[in-house]
Amino acid sequence: MTQKRTVDRPRIDAHEKVLGRALYAADQPIPGLLHAMTVPATIVTGRIEAIDLTAAMNVQGVVRVFTHEDFSQIKTTPASRGAYGQPGKGYQPMTGPVVRHRGEPVVLVVAETLEAAIEGAEAVKVRYADEAFSAAMEDDRAGREPEPESELSTGDAEAAFASANHRIDVEYLHPQQHHNPIELISTTAAFEDGELRIYEGTQAAAAFAGGLAGMMGLDPTQLRGVSPYTGGGFGQKNGIQEQSVLVASAAALLNRPVKLVMPRNQLFHTASYRPRSRHRVRLGADEQGRLLAGLYETVQQNSRYDGFGCEHGANPPRMYGYGSWLGSDRVVRVDTQTPGHQRAPHEHPSSFATECAMDELAEAVGMDPVELRLANDTQNDPITGKPFSSRHLADCLRRGAKLVDWSRRMREPRALVAENGDLIGLGVACGSYKGSMTPAVTRLRLFASGRCEIATSGHEMGQGIRNVIAAELTDVLGIDPENLEIRIGDTGHAPQHLTAGSWGTGSAAPAARSAAMKLREELGLLTGSALSEEPVHVQLARTRRPLLEVTVDTIPLGKDGQAIEQLRRGIPSTTGPEYPEFMAFSWIAHFAEVRVETSTGRVRVRRVVSVVDCGRVMNRRTAQSQVQGGVVWGIGAALREAGETDPRFGGVLNNDLAEYVLPVNADIGAIDVDFIDQPDFKLNISGVKGLGEVAMVGASAAVVNAVYNATGRRVRHLPIRIEDLL
Amino acid sequence: MRSLSYVRARTVREATQAFATAGEGARYIAGGTTLYDLMKLGVEHPAHLIDIASLDGADRIDTGGDVLFFGAGALMADVAEDDVVRHDYPILAESLSKAASQQLRNMATVGGNILQRTRCPYFRNGAIGAYPCNKREPGSGCAAIGGLDRSQAVLGISDTCTAVSPGDWPVALTAMDATIEIQGPAGPRSVPIAEFYRLPGGTPHLEFSIEGGEIVTGISVPKTEAGKNSTYLKVRDRESYAFALASAAVALAMDGDRVRRAHIALGGVATRPWRAHEAETLLNGQTIDREIALAAGRSAFADASAGEHNAFKIELGARTLADAIMTAGRKTQ
Amino acid sequence: MSGPHDRQSIEITRRQVLEAGTIVTMSGMLPVAAEAQTSSSQLPPENGSTVQVSFQINGQPSTLEIDARASLLDMLRERLGLVGAKKGCDHGQCGACTVHIDGRRVASCLTVAAKVDGRKVTTIEGIGSADALHPMQQAFIDHDALQCGYCTPGQIMAAIACVKEGHASTPEDIREYMSGNICRCGAYVGIVASIEQAAPQIERG
Repeated sequence: MTQKRTVDRPRIDAHEKVLGRALYAADQPIPGLLHAMTVPATIVTGRIEAIDLTAAMNVQGVVRVFTHEDFSQIKTTPASRGAYGQPGKGYQPMTGPVVRHRGEPVVLVVAETLEAAIEGAEAVKVRYADEAFSAAMEDDRAGREPEPESELSTGDAEAAFASANHRIDVEYLHPQQHHNPIELISTTAAFEDGELRIYEGTQAAAAFAGGLAGMMGLDPTQLRGVSPYTGGGFGQKNGIQEQSVLVASAAALLNRPVKLVMPRNQLFHTASYRPRSRHRVRLGADEQGRLLAGLYETVQQNSRYDGFGCEHGANPPRMYGYGSWLGSDRVVRVDTQTPGHQRAPHEHPSSFATECAMDELAEAVGMDPVELRLANDTQNDPITGKPFSSRHLADCLRRGAKLVDWSRRMREPRALVAENGDLIGLGVACGSYKGSMTPAVTRLRLFASGRCEIATSGHEMGQGIRNVIAAELTDVLGIDPENLEIRIGDTGHAPQHLTAGSWGTGSAAPAARSAAMKLREELGLLTGSALSEEPVHVQLARTRRPLLEVTVDTIPLGKDGQAIEQLRRGIPSTTGPEYPEFMAFSWIAHFAEVRVETSTGRVRVRRVVSVVDCGRVMNRRTAQSQVQGGVVWGIGAALREAGETDPRFGGVLNNDLAEYVLPVNADIGAIDVDFIDQPDFKLNISGVKGLGEVAMVGASAAVVNAVYNATGRRVRHLPIRIEDLL
Repeated sequence: MRSLSYVRARTVREATQAFATAGEGARYIAGGTTLYDLMKLGVEHPAHLIDIASLDGADRIDTGGDVLFFGAGALMADVAEDDVVRHDYPILAESLSKAASQQLRNMATVGGNILQRTRCPYFRNGAIGAYPCNKREPGSGCAAIGGLDRSQAVLGISDTCTAVSPGDWPVALTAMDATIEIQGPAGPRSVPIAEFYRLPGGTPHLEFSIEGGEIVTGISVPKTEAGKNSTYLKVRDRESYAFALASAAVALAMDGDRVRRAHIALGGVATRPWRAHEAETLLNGQTIDREIALAAGRSAFADASAGEHNAFKIELGARTLADAIMTAGRKTQ
Repeated sequence: MSGPHDRQSIEITRRQVLEAGTIVTMSGMLPVAAEAQTSSSQLPPENGSTVQVSFQINGQPSTLEIDARASLLDMLRERLGLVGAKKGCDHGQCGACTVHIDGRRVASCLTVAAKVDGRKVTTIEGIGSADALHPMQQAFIDHDALQCGYCTPGQIMAAIACVKEGHASTPEDIREYMSGNICRCGAYVGIVASIEQAAPQIERG
């Protein structure tokens, strides 16, 4: 059977969503629900000396006020916030009388109504003994880790750089950024059917069964994680949040359901974010622009206690045929909440640095930046020497150049001027993102009625994983999506993987496809006619069976059955980008056209053209949306977003959606997306690679390079603001 | 937010009486887009809300008389869409339509908007930050001075406060010599807008020349031919739905091709809506070109004083004003 | 791994198959409003000073005794079980809570609930139905003007108002007048296309 190409179907849950009927975690109708509110710490580091609860307890409607004394038995485990699976790392607030970052919860007030909970929280008085802290990675008291987090090298890059005809040696600064999904992170804990159900809009429902149970000292079977819909995740919802175990414990202690919707200004402090980073890039090329050497050193801010890695160096050496490479990534620790994975966590900042450096190199060599990239295209990974499973980056570049009419770009900056006097600039940049997969357990049931149920691993957070699952079932079984029920994001239905790292489709599509093929095979055995063209449920009805059920484990390439065991225990078990025979990446080329107002320096992104190699496209409509979204993120990162910390106070000062400037509708012009749409069957039976993150990688660099082309200004930090171009 | 009482008043008299009866902690609420927001942030703590959004006739818009009259309860969206305002006073219409979002303009009143409080993040972060702020807690100090001051004012600042006056509409009204109509227990009074906004000086918590129990009932704007040759230019960190980094309200009364009288006010750069007298003087009697426009822009910032991160506002403010003058100038042709 | 051979076969008739199908479809269409009715009959106690509010919600009269400081958004979501309007910022900065009061779009999070006394409130639950979508809802599906769907109810309420106000005549106008609704998934291109498609089918108000 061949996979359908480039299908265009309506988003499968769009109907529910446009009617406002999709129920997110905080929307669950639960009788007798209590409301909670946190009291945020107003110091950065120190001890809690005393908490005066009298006024809070007197607030009408307050049921109970919890402090660290109530939660001292909660354990910090590798599943806790900030541990990233590492023993000894991570930090769970409210388990002792200490404060380790501004804004962390120090008291939890539970009340009959939300208004009473808020009033109660405001009435709590906490006395602190604060201690010296360091809130900036440039600060003397910041803790510089002596050893690099990671290093990659091939050849003698220092020597090759020293003898190169053209050399670039530049430093780029990437600011702290915050995910800000519009769904506020919330936790609802309720005893239902003898189990404690945790409703949280999460990318990792399993963390709310296994992980939370470990922290609370409960049997994992007593807990169930339910993430019906996630209102945007982008990596911020990929694990247990600071408040999750507090709400679960409060519900257990009160034996009543409790809901906490975290206020946005607190989320800037309790939830993860993309940490600030510095990038030194050295590129050396010969007369013809052939890359002889790449040297790349990065430093990233982390909290004192977290296990979040620094992997800026992982992707750049795979972009081009570097003759030699030397890269290292280091961490500096400060007194802040733990950072984490934010859409293209390291790939976006590193692409900003290295793809802007490529633009600088193109200028130094005197080459067109598209030509420079084409001249250094490669089908093999310079670091491992392995071939790529598939790489159509050159096609992306050529097609994109044509779509955006790259030929009108002038090599000299400030040469293209619009009728109203605005400077016009065109910029290009490329990106890649690893091709990862994760195991899944899938149960597929076909009813003779025509109804079909599938329970599998994965979370719907807008990327369209339900569409991917439906597309494969439709493709193999011809099932009407109207009769399909997809149960995901719920540990009560199937073991759940952490849905992140763009491995959702690469895992869910093969899982659904394998289950569908297995069901088709079983049906063929039952009916004796495997090739029947009749609808499958009609075939099934003919056998006089009410239903047919299959369960399939899908184990990604390079893993064995242990991966399923890990999945069942909620432990991430992903593959990629390195596989035994090859390296797997998705690829993208972005072209940006900007207009810069000369008097005020305002930059407007008129149009972006993005051409993607993500393997087979499962649904053109939703895939296009995902790429457009990634480009909007790239524009936001290039021109708008930065979390700002006053080093005297720590915390995030611009902690709301008015001051943390996200792109609005008026900021976005045309975004044209095209796909190579060549399946990568080396990676999996569905031929898919990831899309959600590669969509963003390189987009900011394309904008920044376009700004240079328009103005002649090299801005080496993000975001580019008005004051940078005045 | 503490528990509170809520009453809706039908007349000004009813409202002022309710205010007097309620005693301490009484506050008027109109659209609520500032007050309720600050209540949620723990910055404002009223015990009694007296809703004055639907006072009889408070939403009257009257552009037919000698002056333009806007009832304090008129919605920002409605004044922005008024035909006379749109065609003959774009400075006013644009200042409204470039503020906030349509949802908020459908809630906020033009009277309430002139009482909008600063967006200084040290002021607004009452709960998490508990940062020193002389406006929120007189005598506690000013964290913005020596801090992240990119959005702070460069004009009208004092050593106790550099918070920016956030509005757009008040800037346009300042340029147009508006008068604020006020009623209180002692009867009605009118305050020229130039006297309505206070400089922070040593008392930054006192922002408006209005007493407890008084209600803004309306705004009058003298009619002028300059209205047609006018604009409100707002430069911000994104294309829409953001506060001004710098804005300029410009209206030009002409004698042939020469400016007879320029009306100029600035926003986003000052501690109150800022009348740019120097720029007006410089333009009066002149024909408009880019050079004179920029000279006027620079003159408006002659006395500006910047902190660590907001010096760009001096140049940006000058250029924004120059651009606005050019736009208004083009309308005279 | 379990397969069909582990299961007992049960004799069923075609009629039973059809009935089962029908029942499934019915329960799938159970409106959210039904939840609203059940939960509003068991309203939680109010704390603090209360005020009586009588208003129309999606065409139905309703009267509530509610905490005077509560927002319209919290009244809809926590008292009436109308959870279509979403909380994204609680400060009028994102638009996810957009509803109509007397036909005009407002941020329900910054609207004191007591203010809707005597007014008509329309939420996403009052727009279209499962088998008869509003043209704007259909357009959002056609142009995939959503991803996670969380801001979508607010976007649609704002978009309908945007057309009725007369602010949908050009793409530039749409972008400006839809800028009060942040979509973090970045569906802006689709949102503009949806409004352009639906606008001719919606009467100006």
